[in-house]
Amino acid sequence: MKIDSITKLDKWRKEILTKQKTIKTKVLICLGPGCLAGGSDLILKEFQTLLKKKKIKDISVESVKKTGCHGFCARGPLVIIEPLGIFYSKVKKMHVKDIIEKTLQKGEIIEKLLYKDPNTEKIYKEWRKIPFYARQQKIALRNVGQIDPDEITDYIANGGYAALAKILKSMKPDDVIEQVSKSGLRGRGGAGFSTGRKWATCAKAEENPHYVLCNGDEGDPGAFMDRCIMEGDPHTVLEGMIICAYAVGSQEGYIYVREEYPLAVVNLQKAIDDARKYGLLGDNILGTDLCFDLKISKGGGAFVCGESSALMRSVAGEIGEPRAKYVRSVLKGLHDKPTVLNNVETFANIPVIIEKGADWFSAIGTKKSTGTKAFSLAGKIKNTGLIEVPMGIKLKEIIYDIGGGINDNREFKAVQTGGPSGGCLPADKLDLEVDFDTLADNGSMMGSGGMVVMDDRTCMVDVSRYFLNFLVEESCGKCVPCREGLFQLHKLNEKICEGKGTEDDLKLMENLSETIISGSLCGLGQSGPNPFLSTIMYFRDEYEAHVNKQECPGGVCKNLITYRINDDCNGCMACLSVCAAGAIKGKKKEQHIIDEVKCDRCGACFAVCNINAIDII
Amino acid sequence: MIIDSNKIQKVIDDSPQDKKQLIMILQNIQQEFHYLPKESIGLVSEYLGMPQSTVYSAATFYKSFSLVPRGENIIKVCKGTACHIKGADLIIDQLDAGIGIKPGQTTKDMKYTIEVVNCVGACAMAPVMIVNDKYFGEVKCNRATKLAKTG
Amino acid sequence: MVKLQINGKTVEAREGEMLLAVIQRMGIDVPTQCHHEAIEPTGNCRLCMVEITKKNWDGWKKSVTSCLYPVEEGLIVETHNDKLFEIRKTILDLQLARSPHSDYVTKMAAEYGLEKSSYPAEPQGDDCIMCYACTRICDVLGKSAIAPTMRGHEKIIAGPFGEAPPDCIGCLSCAHICPTDHIKWNDKGNTRKIWDKKFKLIKCKKCGKKTITREFADYLIEKRELPSEYFDTCDVCKRKETAEKMGELVIKAREATI
Repeated sequence: MKIDSITKLDKWRKEILTKQKTIKTKVLICLGPGCLAGGSDLILKEFQTLLKKKKIKDISVESVKKTGCHGFCARGPLVIIEPLGIFYSKVKKMHVKDIIEKTLQKGEIIEKLLYKDPNTEKIYKEWRKIPFYARQQKIALRNVGQIDPDEITDYIANGGYAALAKILKSMKPDDVIEQVSKSGLRGRGGAGFSTGRKWATCAKAEENPHYVLCNGDEGDPGAFMDRCIMEGDPHTVLEGMIICAYAVGSQEGYIYVREEYPLAVVNLQKAIDDARKYGLLGDNILGTDLCFDLKISKGGGAFVCGESSALMRSVAGEIGEPRAKYVRSVLKGLHDKPTVLNNVETFANIPVIIEKGADWFSAIGTKKSTGTKAFSLAGKIKNTGLIEVPMGIKLKEIIYDIGGGINDNREFKAVQTGGPSGGCLPADKLDLEVDFDTLADNGSMMGSGGMVVMDDRTCMVDVSRYFLNFLVEESCGKCVPCREGLFQLHKLNEKICEGKGTEDDLKLMENLSETIISGSLCGLGQSGPNPFLSTIMYFRDEYEAHVNKQECPGGVCKNLITYRINDDCNGCMACLSVCAAGAIKGKKKEQHIIDEVKCDRCGACFAVCNINAIDII
Repeated sequence: MIIDSNKIQKVIDDSPQDKKQLIMILQNIQQEFHYLPKESIGLVSEYLGMPQSTVYSAATFYKSFSLVPRGENIIKVCKGTACHIKGADLIIDQLDAGIGIKPGQTTKDMKYTIEVVNCVGACAMAPVMIVNDKYFGEVKCNRATKLAKTG
Repeated sequence: MVKLQINGKTVEAREGEMLLAVIQRMGIDVPTQCHHEAIEPTGNCRLCMVEITKKNWDGWKKSVTSCLYPVEEGLIVETHNDKLFEIRKTILDLQLARSPHSDYVTKMAAEYGLEKSSYPAEPQGDDCIMCYACTRICDVLGKSAIAPTMRGHEKIIAGPFGEAPPDCIGCLSCAHICPTDHIKWNDKGNTRKIWDKKFKLIKCKKCGKKTITREFADYLIEKRELPSEYFDTCDVCKRKETAEKMGELVIKAREATI
């Protein structure tokens, strides 16, 4: 069925809504990356099998829906029962029968599956009231975790493609650009360039054709927002891109997805196929003159391809070596033609901005960073997961109110934002408001939205080494400062981790960083030293401890620590069985000892000991 | 391992004959054989009418391509930031002890290949390990070898 | 024409011209490694960086590679200052660690007061400075027999699988353009060897001098639509032959007039 007019789309939406009203209770099963790792696919199957056999009033197999990431990954697998919003967490396959018989059949709540806030001991029945969710505001993620990403009808029922209909009915391309500009939306990929201005430049470019590209190469380690959008609500990316195509006069677009996200590719492809089938992509969209089609371009595993010129070369089938951009890619981009390249989350915001208006959007957030931002919370924080919050929220609100604080109530040390181009912010920066400019002014950056929380058992010198190692592996190797400079910077950092560094090495590293920043060809090199610079800025004492005292305050750097078993040891033998070096001796139920000469400091014993009987000294 | 070049040609013939699709064609071949057999470089270059060096350059630039055969079971250890600070190295050490190979290596009997990947986007469940495309979250290092062997 | 200022002097330049060309025309010495007139600039070495600003940039300056930056009206360019000196020096310092035995690199580094690298010498270092001049010239010739392979610090210039490049025709362009003489080749008897590939050299039918490889000759014959026997004789003999023919013609013409 082709939807070849806006009236038909409205009619179709009404039909879908009428049909959906007959399904009173919905059981949403999260199939986001976290829940999936916990086996939520098995839970979904179990629901489907059991419900096929059972006859329950108002409940059928159709009531069960798989969704994308619902957000609260730490509590996964999640099962949510709507419209009441009953939130069951840490669900296992064996609980499914109970959920059907008690909750669905009799309306009883299963208390042990509810969420109990470890800080307040309060038990929550409804997900919206849980502090993790209560502080959030979802725009880009509005449908993620709420709809079945495979069903275009779900998207349409939730108002999908209404923004597209609106612009085709009543807005000129310039009006669209004006709304996007007025909304103040800035690129969510990290650089924070004004989306409206980018679109305007491309629209005005005389050369043809114009391309629309979506950057789904979420390469920053510690970030998974874009993955969740592509997997959980692919149509919003499509709609954002189609609106952009209308605004800038493009007929061809590509979504560049990193190859580590196979499910995103599958879900996006399904969305593209469906959109094409219904006439929302292709020639004469919704019966108008708008013609636009989309293809997926799969990355090959190269972080540098997140850089715009490298991404465009990769889409063109070449190796992803960046080119110097003295002519902006918006004028000479893909195949040297005018190109709009925006990130997944940026496109996901567009339909809402069009529908609710620029003023509505710009009233959220701060003056210079409007709207919301999606973040992935990970690391040593209680409530790991996917969140979306208004810009301007304080770091500590994210980490403590939403994130629930640090694992095991340990001490907060730093939060890493912006991935390998970003930096680490210490405890005295927790009052910072999260927006593009504030983070950049404080030696970090917004980046794409990864937030990795670190506690007192993280070594900041090691964190810097980790990122430099990452960048050395991911540098394309074209220009000298990045290829040779990051390599030497990493070597020096490693030397410090080994306790062999000197104050002179630190100075050399700082000087070298300056040249890498100002001399490198692309953003990877130009921001490459940031993790080192931000850690040495805020945690110089840790560097000095490594250099002057050969100590690792975080207890991480192997050369500088010793593991020792204390008197609490109950002789459970867990450490002994995991020790690959054969350095642990002891009999069952007797205190064990570590042979410090044999011990290779891998830390496995420490990780498996459940009773804190191993000290790091 | 001997791969029939007709089989490779078949995969190539099913792909669009367009230089822009070079990476996609290599991905298709890798999907089929789990690596890029040596012959595939020449065959792709012929099909697309581009120099072998260009094809080889792309095959070595992108990390997802392997030019050596990989094992029956692919074990990936995520080394994203969250996984790193939550002990991904411990998993690698344990796999080395339990299976006897380091990342990037394949066991002699071609049963296992261990690879380190940069963030698979499952950071909330760190540390993460992927055995033949199945994700395992919050992996305890003492369970790593067992997970790798039993999936 | 575009008017801009370089080191305080106002100069004119053609639209689309790169800054480096103008700078060199003025006789200003800006170091370069990867730049060569015969090939497109790529900006690998970063040594030709200059600082640019404009009157309305409120004093804000930007470092750009002059080989890739097209001239602009009103641009104010500085080619030498402390910051640029530091960048160039550090780049050479890094190269010195990678290619400690290269005369080319050591000489350039010495000009910046560097005798020894501040960084430990790299065990796998060689004389390749990854300027891509060889691969670019090979691209220009239309062969692309060699290419940058691998990535990052492990990147090398090579043929597929590090073996003899199937598309190489032994023309030696890569070896001649290489600024560090890293690409080794030799002619022994009738055989030329480069990139581990052996070629037969053509012998001039007249004088017996060895000229170019059979593969290169065939390539040129095809590409430039030359007669198939074009390379049977060497350039010198060809010139002699032409001269003799011309001489005969002159004699004939003279005889005719008499």
